[in-house]
Amino acid sequence: MSVLGSEMLFFNVQNGYLEGIIRGYKAGLLTQSNYSNLQQCDNLEDLRMQLSATDYGNFLSNETLPLSTSTISQKSSQTLVDEFNYVKSNASEPLSTFLDYMTYSYMIDNVILLITGTLHERDTHELLDRCHPLGKFDAMSALCVATNVEELYQSVLVETPLAPYFRSCLSASDLDDLNIEIIRNSVYKAYLEDFYDFSQSLGDPTASIMAKLLSFEADRRSINITLNSFNTELTKEMRNSLYPQFGRLYPAGTYALARAEDFDQVRAACEFIPEYYHMFDGFSSNNTDSDHNNSLEDRFFAHDVLLNKETFLQQFNYAPFYSYFKLKEQEVRNIVWLSECIAQSAPQERRAVPTIF
Amino acid sequence: MSENNQREAVFPTRMALTNTKNRLKGAQTGHSLLAKKRDALMIRFRAILKKVEEAKLKMGKVMQVAAFSLAEVNYVAGDISYQVQESAKRPQLTVKAKQENVSGVTLPGFEIEREQSNEFSLTGLGRGGQKIQKCKETYAKAIETLVELASLQTAFMILDDVIRVTNRRVNAIEHVVLPKLENTIKYINSELDEMDREEFFRLKKIQSKKKKGGDSEQDTIDQGEYTQDQAGGADILDQGKDEDVIF
Repeated sequence: MSVLGSEMLFFNVQNGYLEGIIRGYKAGLLTQSNYSNLQQCDNLEDLRMQLSATDYGNFLSNETLPLSTSTISQKSSQTLVDEFNYVKSNASEPLSTFLDYMTYSYMIDNVILLITGTLHERDTHELLDRCHPLGKFDAMSALCVATNVEELYQSVLVETPLAPYFRSCLSASDLDDLNIEIIRNSVYKAYLEDFYDFSQSLGDPTASIMAKLLSFEADRRSINITLNSFNTELTKEMRNSLYPQFGRLYPAGTYALARAEDFDQVRAACEFIPEYYHMFDGFSSNNTDSDHNNSLEDRFFAHDVLLNKETFLQQFNYAPFYSYFKLKEQEVRNIVWLSECIAQSAPQERRAVPTIF
Repeated sequence: MSENNQREAVFPTRMALTNTKNRLKGAQTGHSLLAKKRDALMIRFRAILKKVEEAKLKMGKVMQVAAFSLAEVNYVAGDISYQVQESAKRPQLTVKAKQENVSGVTLPGFEIEREQSNEFSLTGLGRGGQKIQKCKETYAKAIETLVELASLQTAFMILDDVIRVTNRRVNAIEHVVLPKLENTIKYINSELDEMDREEFFRLKKIQSKKKKGGDSEQDTIDQGEYTQDQAGGADILDQGKDEDVIF
């Protein structure tokens, strides 16, 4: 498209305002001291008071007492959704497409939800209520009209932006036969690959940063799928087909993962990437979850946060948009986790979260 | 007076006495049997009470752990409730009822049976699958505790009822039936004694009457003989001098 560095010249013409907004939002993320205050709360009212001193403001002020964790979760993800919608409505190409790609992951979850619900003939409104607000699209209710699998497949193809992913990895009969989780993961794999290709087409530095972020996402999925598929009916071939075909583990690592039969083989498959290998430190084959605060998932989260934080070191690219919303999502999870801990009066040491700043 | 109320309306006959005595014996045996039953039930009841307390405390802990593990799942994998609801096809845990006999009382007991197959094992494949499985295990344990508690609690309620009924019966026999029978026996005995005495007295009386009656007859006869002898052919008119009648 252009020589390296020239994107800096014109980036601000289209996206300067939004990048400013994003960096402003980023400055409002909860800090270490906020978290340590939150960890010491005795009840949810305390939590609300602590949060009201941050960028969350009085997002819970209209709620009736007693507060429930589900309200907190709902309200805090609403702030995320509001911010996202604001950025998205001000975005121009190619940022708007970039942001659209970000919504696709939520959309996949929603579509899968609708498919499951429709196959079991559930109430449409109940289904729509459960959908993630970021993954909403106009034709969503149209999906619920379908009465059989064939129709459902057709309407997914026609009505959703996810059509290419579904077409590439599924046929109509698969919806009936395959486990819904396999469908979800193969669609998600197709999505990740597509998002990766798209981000590569945006040119440096977006391409390189997004490559790093998405590679990690892909590798994390591969490792998780492998670990979670032990002792299930998922065959190795099937498992192999669920690994995204990019990332640092691809192809040698995923090849080894596909053949892995226990925890140690997974660890060995990741051996050549030091960052991943160190995540397995301290775990034995039958105990992947010994320390409550430090399971493999938690280490993945922490690493994810680290990568997303690094994104902000560079300017004039689209990756911060992705990173900010990932960080915000993590923050919402943290808040919900803390409020659950507080509501169930879990001991302080259980309340650790990957802090962001 | 109350004694009068507390006896049965029987005729004081020997037959009734034998009957009542038999019944008294029966009532006493029944009383001791019921008392034994009550003691046995009480022992069982105390044991269950202890277990119920333990199970309740355990339930509190187990439920807390389970709720917390669900929170962990929500943290890692997001809201999975819908996926789980939809993918659940067959029950993995079934509760079977069995019966146990404790001194004549049938206590229902509940037993949990776990299906070995693993439903929705693929849920959370992309992320959080292990946490979900762990959470499932914790909840299975929680349900086991709940079922245990439920069977204990049912046994507790039923035993409580039965013990109360047995107690009432024991007390009724002890304080109403036995005194009543005893009173009846006492009454019959006293009546019979009374009758005996009356009989005896009457016999005595008759005897004495009989004796007395014989004597006087002899007397009159003797007298007659005596007067005849004395009078000889005496004139009736000469029996005595009439008083002059003065008008």
